[in-house]
Amino acid sequence: MHSKCTNWPCDCVNLLVIYHPAHVVSCIRTVKTTTWFDEHLTEDNQEYMRKSMAQEYRRQTVDKLNPLKDEPWQRHDWTQGSRRVGLVAVKLGMAPVWTKAGERHVVTMLQVQDCHVIRHLSKEEYNGHTAVLVVGGKNVSPFHRSEEQMEMFRNAGVPPKHKVTTFKVSDNAVIKPGTPLYAAHFRPGQYVDVTAKSIGKGFQGVMKRYGFKGQPATHGQTKTHRRPGASGPGGDPAKVFKGKKMPGMMGNIFVTAYGLKIWRVNTKYNVLYVNGSVPGHRNCVLKIRDTVLPTRSSTLLSPPFPTYFTEEEGDLDEDLYDDNLFIHTDPSLTLT
Amino acid sequence: MAACAKGLDKCMFSLRLLRSPRLQNERFLSTSLGRLAPKEPSKFTPPPKPVVIDKTQTVAAQRKFLSPEFIPPRQRTDPFKFVIERKDMIRRRKVLDIPEFYAGSILAVTMADPNASGKINRFVGICIQRGGKGLGATFVLRNIIDNQGVEICYELYSPRIQKIDVLKLERRLDDNLMYLRDALTEYSTVDPDMNPVPFSLTEEVPVNKMKVRMRPKPWSKRWERPKYNVQGIRFDLALTPEKMEHAQKWAQPWREYDMLKEYDTAQLEEQILSEVQQAMSK
Repeated sequence: MHSKCTNWPCDCVNLLVIYHPAHVVSCIRTVKTTTWFDEHLTEDNQEYMRKSMAQEYRRQTVDKLNPLKDEPWQRHDWTQGSRRVGLVAVKLGMAPVWTKAGERHVVTMLQVQDCHVIRHLSKEEYNGHTAVLVVGGKNVSPFHRSEEQMEMFRNAGVPPKHKVTTFKVSDNAVIKPGTPLYAAHFRPGQYVDVTAKSIGKGFQGVMKRYGFKGQPATHGQTKTHRRPGASGPGGDPAKVFKGKKMPGMMGNIFVTAYGLKIWRVNTKYNVLYVNGSVPGHRNCVLKIRDTVLPTRSSTLLSPPFPTYFTEEEGDLDEDLYDDNLFIHTDPSLTLT
Repeated sequence: MAACAKGLDKCMFSLRLLRSPRLQNERFLSTSLGRLAPKEPSKFTPPPKPVVIDKTQTVAAQRKFLSPEFIPPRQRTDPFKFVIERKDMIRRRKVLDIPEFYAGSILAVTMADPNASGKINRFVGICIQRGGKGLGATFVLRNIIDNQGVEICYELYSPRIQKIDVLKLERRLDDNLMYLRDALTEYSTVDPDMNPVPFSLTEEVPVNKMKVRMRPKPWSKRWERPKYNVQGIRFDLALTPEKMEHAQKWAQPWREYDMLKEYDTAQLEEQILSEVQQAMSK
């Protein structure tokens, strides 16, 4: 492994910091010793580790407030131009809904699973313009997370999360790390933007990727049916412009769907019913936030600011519906 | 215990015989012989099982029928999604009574229609297909009105549907009767004013083994091919045996041995049926 390094034993990683001569630089240790959590444990101990971790994290998720630091932070009122946090949710599937006029729409169900605020970075710490809240969703096992990530979760007093994202937030909407976030943060009738990684399609040709028309199947076409054809003007630029649409990897990129209406919120199971389709496969983790579109921003609805706290706002109905939505317990429609 | 009982028996017998010698007729002897011959104790016959008549449940609820749209498809979806969808389906079923029916039954559906006079629209037809799962489940009704074939696809859980009546409950040899489009018109005509045929809930649903005559080819689909698996067409009148053999070229005999395509829903069905019946009875 370290054939080039003849003088030193394998403490190269430490010594590299002190000695800078060029012939030592090649002696970089590429394979770091990694052990998985159960390599040196007996089977009983492995079981115990799994169970104890799961119990502790369940307890942490259920706790409303971070036990380390007791008081929540100061709550401010909503002002024009303030932005509040978003949520991290899991895409469950799709279902039809009907309005009171009898129109049929499709809806995606997003479940907010174990969403917690993890960190707060003030304006100065982040980029000098806006404060930021780091939010995580969907608990995951700690055994495959690195130490740095685990430190961050430990500081917040929160189990390790599958997805950790940042939300740009105005200063009056700042929330204390460790607070759980629920689906009732959004109300029916509101509009949201949903961001997720689209389904990966792998290396795809230009017809599927960009919708090119290709070439005809017959009439003498020699081995050319799905090719891009010409790639640019010709002799004048004598080059192919940057950004030319060519075959390549398609999908598996972050895509945002804007202006999706929320039809229904289930507060018991934390499920949001969002209009239309959403990028990502089933059971993928997504990021939801209030719309950026100016024509769909709702000041009339007054959603909970900075977020929905169960202790303060107490009992909401199990299902919150939009005004136009047909509820299944109502009698059948009679259109007049 | 048995031995002394036997001994006692014999003593009793001999005493009885001594007491009344004139009663020693054949009958007595035969019975005594019959009794003395088997030496082992008499076999224990358990009492007959009591027949339980459950009067708390209605006869309708006792009928073990689970509508096919409750069975979730074999997908990578979280089962929780089917749970919440089922809750909505049950809520709708408590308001609108969706009866049991199969492909081949004759139904009448009353629907709210903004374009109809009186805003109500009643259509009677034979159900040719039941598709979809969950809240988006559909069924297609076919009828011939004024020499024009009409098919309407209704959604079972749509709020515009006000009533679903089963005029005749029966099954056919297939689950999918799309071939009625290529059959003679008499097989798809249903009288819009027909009276409902009474059906008692304790009986099994009758299977109508009718085989349908077809119009001359070409048909909309090649129904003779094994992938459609159509039992209810009279192929002997429509096609020659050579053509039937030629159609068998598209057979896929390996499909029945493909284990990856197996989807055993028996346990799921039981579980969902008990859940649905409990929720409906509340």
